[in-house]
Amino acid sequence: MKTIEIGRFSDLAQALSTAGYRVAAPVDDGGVVRFKEWTKGREIALGAVPVDSVKDFLFPRSEVVARFALEEAGAFTPVPVERFAPKTVALGVRPCDAAALAALDAVFNWDYRDGSYNARRAATTVVSLACAKADAHCFCISVGGAPDGTAGADAILRPADGGSKLVFEALSDKGRLLEAMVSDGQAVPDAPAALKKRFDPAAVGRWLAANFESPFWKEAALACLGCGACAYACPVCHCFDLQDESDRKECRRLRNWDSCGFGLFTLHASGHNPRPDQSARWRQRVMHKFSIYPQKFKTLACTGCGRCARLCQAGMAIAETCERIEALGR
Amino acid sequence: MNDDLYKPFLLRIETARDEAPDVRTFRLKFADEGERVEFFRRYRVGMFGLYGVPGEGESTFCVASPPTREGYIECTFRKVGRVTQALQDLEVGQALTFRGPYGSHFPIDSWKGRDLLFIAGGIALPPMRSVIWNILDRRAEFGKVTVVYGARTTADLVYKHELAEWAARPDMTLVTTVDPGGQTPDWKGKVGFVPVVLKELNPAAKNCVAVLCGPPIMIKLTLPVLSALGFSPKDIYTTLENRMKCGVGKCGRCNVGGVYVCKDGPVFTLDELSRLPAGDM
Amino acid sequence: MMKALRQEAAKLLQEKRAALIIGFAEREGHPALFISKPEDCERLFYDVSCRQNLAAYLSKPEVSARRPVAIVASLAALRSLVVLTAESQAAPGQVLALAVDKDAFLGTFDVAGAAELLRSKYPDLGPEKALLERVGELSKKSVVERAAFWAEEFAKCTRCYACRAACPGCYCARCIVEKNAPQWVSTAALGHGNYSWNIMRAFHQSGRCTLCGACEAACPQGLPLMVLNAALDREALEEFGARPGYDPEGKPVIGSWSAEDDHSYMR
Repeated sequence: MKTIEIGRFSDLAQALSTAGYRVAAPVDDGGVVRFKEWTKGREIALGAVPVDSVKDFLFPRSEVVARFALEEAGAFTPVPVERFAPKTVALGVRPCDAAALAALDAVFNWDYRDGSYNARRAATTVVSLACAKADAHCFCISVGGAPDGTAGADAILRPADGGSKLVFEALSDKGRLLEAMVSDGQAVPDAPAALKKRFDPAAVGRWLAANFESPFWKEAALACLGCGACAYACPVCHCFDLQDESDRKECRRLRNWDSCGFGLFTLHASGHNPRPDQSARWRQRVMHKFSIYPQKFKTLACTGCGRCARLCQAGMAIAETCERIEALGR
Repeated sequence: MNDDLYKPFLLRIETARDEAPDVRTFRLKFADEGERVEFFRRYRVGMFGLYGVPGEGESTFCVASPPTREGYIECTFRKVGRVTQALQDLEVGQALTFRGPYGSHFPIDSWKGRDLLFIAGGIALPPMRSVIWNILDRRAEFGKVTVVYGARTTADLVYKHELAEWAARPDMTLVTTVDPGGQTPDWKGKVGFVPVVLKELNPAAKNCVAVLCGPPIMIKLTLPVLSALGFSPKDIYTTLENRMKCGVGKCGRCNVGGVYVCKDGPVFTLDELSRLPAGDM
Repeated sequence: MMKALRQEAAKLLQEKRAALIIGFAEREGHPALFISKPEDCERLFYDVSCRQNLAAYLSKPEVSARRPVAIVASLAALRSLVVLTAESQAAPGQVLALAVDKDAFLGTFDVAGAAELLRSKYPDLGPEKALLERVGELSKKSVVERAAFWAEEFAKCTRCYACRAACPGCYCARCIVEKNAPQWVSTAALGHGNYSWNIMRAFHQSGRCTLCGACEAACPQGLPLMVLNAALDREALEEFGARPGYDPEGKPVIGSWSAEDDHSYMR
């Protein structure tokens, strides 16, 4: 059995860093726990669900996807874009965030394959951390996950001996490469967090497929103020915008995160907007996660991490919406 | 397969022609022969591309020339936003970026031997023009070809030189019309709205495929006429537009219900469209 | 207090003085609650942990379609109502406030009444002491140090615009950051664009911000937005005598010009 003392967890990060990996981990950043690049001496915060997820390391907020050298009088020359895909270990990824990778892999690889995403995905080893605790917003169990789920992970760390140790278990070849950095030991794994199933996603999907025009949407979306907090925090949401930015010498074509909650997301240049109000946008969000995505990719676009609800200033909670939808379908 | 999804082809403007107020056509040559071959290997009528100006961005519209003209591609577009403005500011000899061809196409091989009825309004002729030329370039394979084309005013009719050419051809019928009040004193075509003109024309629906493109109001009023003429929803084709960024089914904004316009479309039959939620269009 | 608030809200609906009440729910996080039936007013809740400024909903088309509207309003939200009225954004006679202050229900007010209440009972609302101390500490640093501080903070911004959505004063149908011809501000969540966006957001609130704190509470990344807001509030007060949210006919500092203004910066 491979075990790590919780108090010496940073040693593993250090060992990985020394071995040439970029290390990503939950770090306390002035009171807010973020999933970010770990640097020597930083404390790793394993206790809280970070505001960001491992998604940021595979599909960054902003990325150059094309580059042009600008010349005289509107002339330009394309400049090759170097792929940024350093060898990375993502440490302490929540099982819900690791599970989200299946949904991201699907969209970035159906038909057209996204090379830059795939390069980073291939270069990343995901070491997840089973949850011994859950809060009121967690609902992984309702969407096919589990607090100790292994989907998407190359290795998993399970809390043991009352939280004083972690048991390391490799789940893939990439995960086994790290085994040597963890010492042998003995520990008794703790019970994973207890969660109640709140709704049945299949029932929700059935109601959604038949109720696009329901008056439910108008009422359900009243509180939504149309920001992107939920989408940006979501480990699955992957909508983006392409924007050119240039100075005198160079143009960078950037892929930036975007959100279906924004009013301008679908606005045509003509002024027509297929989704003219927040109820149409909230419907799109729920439909995409529980109806469109599962129909297209055979996987839900929600892993129950609860971030959207935890962060929403207006208390929009997708699990609660699903509970209400399931009740409507009965 | 190339997985550098946003690396564009380079096209150079060979000619530019003003079609109507704010509407311009470019004939574009591929800067790279390999890219030209790659484009025509994949291109079928009805597919679209993303045309870009570095520093301004990309804009989505159809390819307006047929795959039977392999030396170049043409596009016709109206100036409506930042990118289309920048595109129209380009001059002959300058380059633009292009990604495509993307999306679904008109299944013209399955139309062999059948009559074809094209109905277009205003700036919606370009996506249909590629189909019409493709058919005309393979004329013997198809039955009767009829084109009904209307615009608000005579000034708004696009491809005026080609309309004259089509009108003179003995192997097709062209009916042009402008909205009442939109005619000039020397206008020789019809005066009236497209659905009314179509009703008067009374084309036979038997063994006929209809292709319909135009502003929403024209589509809305023309569909009942086609239906009354006996056209089946499976024999009526159209092409949808929606805001797009990636063109390859990833950026998440062009879906209508569960259908991605960039991947499952832009070409749909009326039968397919009728299953989509109207409230998402 | 809660009883009086609930009764008053129900009465407004019964008497058809309001068709929609926007308040706070009791459940965790106290999300906004939309009520159109008197009996549902029992679900209304308020305490100081209710962080949203409900005046932000007044510019939402789905809400303005259901006027007259009454909102549960803290003192800061009352000031927001007055600011919105001064900026012609709140339909006169169509918006009422169920005013609350900490654990007291103050009554129902229209905009003129709210302004009168604020002037007579709360004439000098401003940043809290602790916040002013933070502003003071930061002001003591050099320009270079301050720039570095903000660069580090703004680097965390994901451009989700939760701050903008939270703010009643951010009601533009198309925000300057979304204007693209020309593109004034980079929309990428990277250094210089994040810096421009955050400074610009705060600047557009100077002399208009009512210090409700909803933006900072909404920020998923925990940016100290109130430090900026408070600093600009003091500048607007000291340089222009601006105290937003007290006069429904007052002109916003950022939208007006006067020959009496200090022009010494022009050389």
